[in-house]
Amino acid sequence: MIDGLKTMLPLAWRNLWRNPRRTGITLIVVAIGLWSILFFSAFMNAWAKSSKETTLQLLLGSGQIHAEGYMDDPSIETLMDPPDRDLNSALDAPAVADWTTRVVVPGVVQSEYKTLPATIVGVDPAAEARISSIPGRITEGRYLDSSDDDSAVLGLHMVERLKTGLGRRVILMSQNAEGAMSEQSFDVVGIYDADKATEDLYVFTGRAASQRFLGLEGEIAQVVFVLQEETALEDAVAALAEAAPALDVRGWKDLNLFLASMDSYMGVFVHVWLSIVFALMAIGIVNTQLMAVFERTQEFGLLRALGMKPRRVLVMVTIENALLIGIGVLLGMVLAAVTIWSLSDGIDFSAFARAMEMVQTGEIIYLKYEPGAFILFPGLIWLLGILVTLWPALRASKCRPVEAMRRET
Amino acid sequence: MDPIVTCRGLSKTFGKGELAVHALRDIDLDIMPGEIATLAGPSGSGKTTLLNMIGALDEPTSGEVTVDGQPLGGLSRSQLSDLRLSKIGFVFQSYNLIPVLSARENIEFVLQLQGVSAAERHDRAMEAIKEVGLSGLEDRRPGKMSGGQQQRVAVARALVSRPAVVLADEPTANLDSKNALALVELMRSLNREHGTTFLIGTHDVRVLEQSMRHIEMLDGRIDRDARGSA
Repeated sequence: MIDGLKTMLPLAWRNLWRNPRRTGITLIVVAIGLWSILFFSAFMNAWAKSSKETTLQLLLGSGQIHAEGYMDDPSIETLMDPPDRDLNSALDAPAVADWTTRVVVPGVVQSEYKTLPATIVGVDPAAEARISSIPGRITEGRYLDSSDDDSAVLGLHMVERLKTGLGRRVILMSQNAEGAMSEQSFDVVGIYDADKATEDLYVFTGRAASQRFLGLEGEIAQVVFVLQEETALEDAVAALAEAAPALDVRGWKDLNLFLASMDSYMGVFVHVWLSIVFALMAIGIVNTQLMAVFERTQEFGLLRALGMKPRRVLVMVTIENALLIGIGVLLGMVLAAVTIWSLSDGIDFSAFARAMEMVQTGEIIYLKYEPGAFILFPGLIWLLGILVTLWPALRASKCRPVEAMRRET
Repeated sequence: MDPIVTCRGLSKTFGKGELAVHALRDIDLDIMPGEIATLAGPSGSGKTTLLNMIGALDEPTSGEVTVDGQPLGGLSRSQLSDLRLSKIGFVFQSYNLIPVLSARENIEFVLQLQGVSAAERHDRAMEAIKEVGLSGLEDRRPGKMSGGQQQRVAVARALVSRPAVVLADEPTANLDSKNALALVELMRSLNREHGTTFLIGTHDVRVLEQSMRHIEMLDGRIDRDARGSA
C-alpha cells in the first residue's frame, strides 16, 4: 500500500504539471471558490455579530423583565414594582454582568411646530451608561446627569422633524398613574445619533423625574440585564424566571425575533453560498478533468496494456485529483487568511453610515479568523472535489487497452 | 518443449451482418520458446489483431489463446492485467513511453506494478539500460531522446520483467534505417543471450531478414509459415 503510494504520488505530481495552463485554471477556480466561501463566512459572521451587538447594546440588552401583559400592552397600567430581594439577588449573580431599571411609557412629544408620537424612557444614567450605547452616542449637548434630571435627550432625526434643538424646550405628554394626561416641559440637553427608527421614537429623561411626571410611586416598566457570556442566555433567563415567577422574563431572542432569525439563519446563508460556489466549481473541475482524461486516453490504454489494474488506474487519477484540489484548497486558505488578516483592523463602512444604520450594524465590521470554518469548508471542498472527479477517474479506469490505443494499431 | 504461445481456431470478427469484418479466420499457431517470429502481410491482413489477441488486449470471437500454459479465455479484466504484467512484454510502434518519467523510471514502472523492491528495481532497470546501450541517458525523459533511443527504452521496459514473450507491433516503423538496424540487432542479441521469445508484426524487410520464422498473413489467415536460418 505504502509502496503503491510511493509509486503513484510522484507520477501524479508530475502528471499535474503536464498541462500547466489547465492545472493553473483549476487551481484558480478552487482557490477563489474557497476564498470566497471563507471570506463570505467571516464577513457574514462579523456582520451578524456587529448587527447583534449594536442592537443589543442600543436598548435591548441580553434580556428584559416586565410585568405580565406589558409586552402586549406596554402602558402605564402594566408597570411593575422594582425588583424584590429574590430578583435582586438573582440579578446580582455572576452570570449577569449588569442591570438597570427603566420606566418606558408611550406618549407624545411636542415642539412649537409639531407633535409626534414617542416612547418616553426614564433611565438611571449611571447604570444606563454600562448597559446601553445611547449615552455614548450623544452628538450635541450632554447625556442625563442623574435619575432626577428632568431634562430630555432626543434623537437627531426627531429633533429635525420637531424643528427644535439643543437648549430649546419640548413638552412630553402621557397618561399618568391616575388615568389622566400629564404634560410637562423638558429642556433639550442632548441629541443622540442612532438608527433612524430609534431616533424617531425614544425620548430619554431621568427615571425618578419620569416617575414624578407620571405620578408613579417607584414603579418601573422593565429591568434590562446584560450577561457576562452570551452562551449562558437560556440558563440565566431560567434562573431569573425562577426568582420572579410572576414576571415575564425574556431573552433577546424572544424580544427581537428578526435579530434571532438573522442569528440562526446566518449559518444557512453561508451553506447556501457554499453550495452555489461548489456547484460552479464542480462544473469547472469535472470539465477540465474530463478533458485531461480524454487527452490521456491512449496513455491509460498503455498503462492497462502494461498490466496496471483498473482499480490502480482509478487510484492514480484520484490521487492526481486529490493533489490538484488539495493545492487549490491550500491556496484558497492562504488567500482567505491573508485577506482576513489584512482586514482585521476592520472594514470601514462609515461612508455608508445611514445604510448601515438601517440594518442596525456598526460602521466598522471586524473580520475574525474562524478556526472551525478553516477546517470545515476546506475539508468539505476537498472531499466533495475528489468525489466529483471520481467520474473522470472511473472513465479512465474503465478504458479497454485495445480501444484506448487504437491509434497505435 | 511446450509452445510459449498457442492459438487454436482463433477468429475475430468486428461488426455484425453485412458490415462484419473477419479480421482473423480460424488461426492455429504455436510459438516456441526462444523464437524470433515475424508476422508479415499487407495492411488489414490481421497482424495487429492477432498480436492483440495473444497480448490479452482483446478477446477473440471464437477460439482459444494460451500463453505460457495459461488459457486466456474466461479470465477477468484484473486477471488479464496480471497475466500481461507477468508474462508479456510489449513494444509499440510509437514507443509509448510515459512522458513524465525518465528512461529509468519508465523501465522501473513495470517492476513497481509487480511489487519489486526499490533497490532491486533500480538494479534491474540499470542493467536493462546497459543492455540496450543507453547508459548515461537513464535520467532523460522521453521528450529529450531520439526515436531510436526511445524505442530502446521501450524494449528495455518490455524485457525487464522477464516476460515469457515480447510482442512487438511495427517496432521499426518510426525509425530511420540506422536505428531500425540497431534495434533489430538488439532484439537478436537479447534473444541469443537470454533466449527471449519475440513475436514481431512488421513490414520491415530488415526485421524479416533477421527472424527465424516468417509467418505470412493474408485476409485474416496464415498464408505461409516458414522457418528460416537467421
